[in-house]
Amino acid sequence: MTSTSDQVARQPRQRPAQRVSLVPYLYLLPHAILFLLFVVYPVGYGLYVSFHRWDLLQETRPFVGVEYYRNLFDPSTPQSQFFWQTLKNTLFFTVVSVPLLVISSLGLAVLLHRPIFGRAFFRAVFFLPGILTVSVMGILWRWMFDNQIGLVNAVITQFFHRQPIPFLSTEWLAWIPIVVGTVWWTIGFNMTLYLAALGNISESLYEAASLDGATAWQQFRGITLPLLTPQTLFVVVTTALASLQLYGQSLVITNGGPTRTTQSVIQYITEEGFSNNQAASATAMAFVFGVIMLIFTAAQFRIMARDVQGGN
Amino acid sequence: MRRSTTLMLLGAALLLPSASAAYSGPKVTISYLHGFTGPDRPVMEGLIKQFNSTHPNIEVKAQAQPWGTTWQQLPSLVASGRSPDVVVINEDQITGFVARGAVSPLTPAELKSAGIDQSRFYGPLFKTADYKGKSYGVPISSVAYVMFYNKDLMKKAGLDPNKPPRTREEFLKAAQACTVDKNGKKAGQDGFDAKNLDTWGVSLYNNWVGSRLAYAAILQNGGSLVDKDENAAFNSPQAASAVQFLVDLVSKYNVARPNSTEEAELAAFSQGKVCMFPSGQWYNDRFEQQKMNYGVAFLPQIGGTKQDAAWGGSSHLTLPKQRAGYDANKRAAALEFINWMTQPAQNLTWTSTGSLPTQAAVASNKKLADQKISGIFSKLSSIYAVSGFPWSGQVLSPFDNAWENAYLGKKPVQQALNDGVSEANKQIGQARKSLQ
Repeated sequence: MTSTSDQVARQPRQRPAQRVSLVPYLYLLPHAILFLLFVVYPVGYGLYVSFHRWDLLQETRPFVGVEYYRNLFDPSTPQSQFFWQTLKNTLFFTVVSVPLLVISSLGLAVLLHRPIFGRAFFRAVFFLPGILTVSVMGILWRWMFDNQIGLVNAVITQFFHRQPIPFLSTEWLAWIPIVVGTVWWTIGFNMTLYLAALGNISESLYEAASLDGATAWQQFRGITLPLLTPQTLFVVVTTALASLQLYGQSLVITNGGPTRTTQSVIQYITEEGFSNNQAASATAMAFVFGVIMLIFTAAQFRIMARDVQGGN
Repeated sequence: MRRSTTLMLLGAALLLPSASAAYSGPKVTISYLHGFTGPDRPVMEGLIKQFNSTHPNIEVKAQAQPWGTTWQQLPSLVASGRSPDVVVINEDQITGFVARGAVSPLTPAELKSAGIDQSRFYGPLFKTADYKGKSYGVPISSVAYVMFYNKDLMKKAGLDPNKPPRTREEFLKAAQACTVDKNGKKAGQDGFDAKNLDTWGVSLYNNWVGSRLAYAAILQNGGSLVDKDENAAFNSPQAASAVQFLVDLVSKYNVARPNSTEEAELAAFSQGKVCMFPSGQWYNDRFEQQKMNYGVAFLPQIGGTKQDAAWGGSSHLTLPKQRAGYDANKRAAALEFINWMTQPAQNLTWTSTGSLPTQAAVASNKKLADQKISGIFSKLSSIYAVSGFPWSGQVLSPFDNAWENAYLGKKPVQQALNDGVSEANKQIGQARKSLQ
């Protein structure tokens, strides 16, 4: 780490200032153009839209200042009520699903790293669901947890002789198909990352540890886990960001119900923008949500940078 | 299905020539945007081909894309003056686009010179595209809520399978007769176990499709979704009493399952567990293929006796607003196209996609007479779309939520409706501002 940064710092001094040519900028240009066109311009335009009463078809689009932002902090508006409720829903999903997704994919990777019989087959089995589209995955898990005809309720009624549980129409329980479905759907990707990392850990470390009499659990705690720290942080950050962008799963499985308890914030923003035709209001929400995601990501990167340095 | 389509196309072709071309100007090309992207697409493409071959001076270039994409694109297309010449807009979107100025009115003079006669169509269906006394579209396709009923199960319950219930009393009696628990006890008998039903009377469920039954019941009782000022009003006494009866079917009479989903009820009806399945007519094909012994009836008057009513959806041919200096010939040609496309012959062809007839002349056609769905044809003029106010999204989402709360027993009916109305009216307040 230190040697690299020294090199970077030394290089400009070795190179005379006159020799700075246009070439590197030309290399950057294609990306810069695309970046300006498809990131900077839309974001700026979106910000402009969010300060106006905006309808493409209206002749006047008056400036309203922060009205749509203020709506989000005025408890009497449906916008504030639903925005914060759906944001809470999304955060709840993130808090529940991220540990599950990280721990279970790590566990699977450790199991499938061993030379067990049919290893390649099982790796494929766990990876395959990830190639399904969200609608296929969603319909599948909605059927599994259907209040009456779902497989889960069939087991509950046939084998345990209990009343069926109305998963899809009970607050909080409706999260179960969404979370379970998401874990099933995305576990393979994280597992693959972990498998790759496990392959890089030298066997000699385990040999030395077992000579010292360390148990399997001690080896896992003392060797595997610390050496996987960079991967774990990467997996946590990407999984958390993906979870915050929850949309398709709850849209297909519960359509946000019952009574908006599983509606994700992105689904609500879509509803405000395209069903209620309130482009400016939806844009304002998207910016507030974007800022929250930014803060969250910045915090995560901080922790990540610190821990990775400490880990190495 | 494939064979009947071909036959109908043939029949339509034979019926056609009487409509002489009203447009006699120079050759024009008009663009036509529609959302019939499923199995209905080849039927639409066949019709367009037929139009082009019989109208040498008009060429229609059609583009099919998902409805949602059109709703998102239409505002920018209109704003930039690049909108297609003819666009199909659905009932829940059309008033919004009209109020925002995206669609141009069809004047009585234009309709007359193009030969489009409003009285040919079912009244409420044609009025779906009306706003503030002006017409903005001509119906091309129509779907509706109907009541499917299982004839075998009704016979078993001691009911006449050829006389589906018409009134609330008949409906409740039939539903009770159909409801038997796993020990063979009927609803209302001593020891009846409502939690373990073997068969039951009627399918209710909590999603938007389920809530369209509540909409029909409210209309039947003389209520409505919005008042004359276009504010939400589905908490009126008429509305509350109609919805209360539906909720009572679950909680008081035990003739419908609580906490049910559309999939579960659909499966139950297919398996012969439930007598009456009120839902979209689009399930007809599915039951037909399953060779069930079923009938299709118009919704009985369960909400009240004020009027017959069922929810319906529809698609309308519209002429979007164009930039100044738009070729008048194109508009005339587009009107000619609209007239041709909505003629009885073409509409008869279109019914092969599962659409209902848009006009009585088609409903009375012999080709449709032996189809099960024809059981509702005498009531097609009592089908009402959610339309006529520019904020259907702001009203329907709270309404669907209110139905969900009431049906699932999370709130008393009146409170669920009041909460929905209060939310809807706040949303409408914001929408009003953006329409100024």
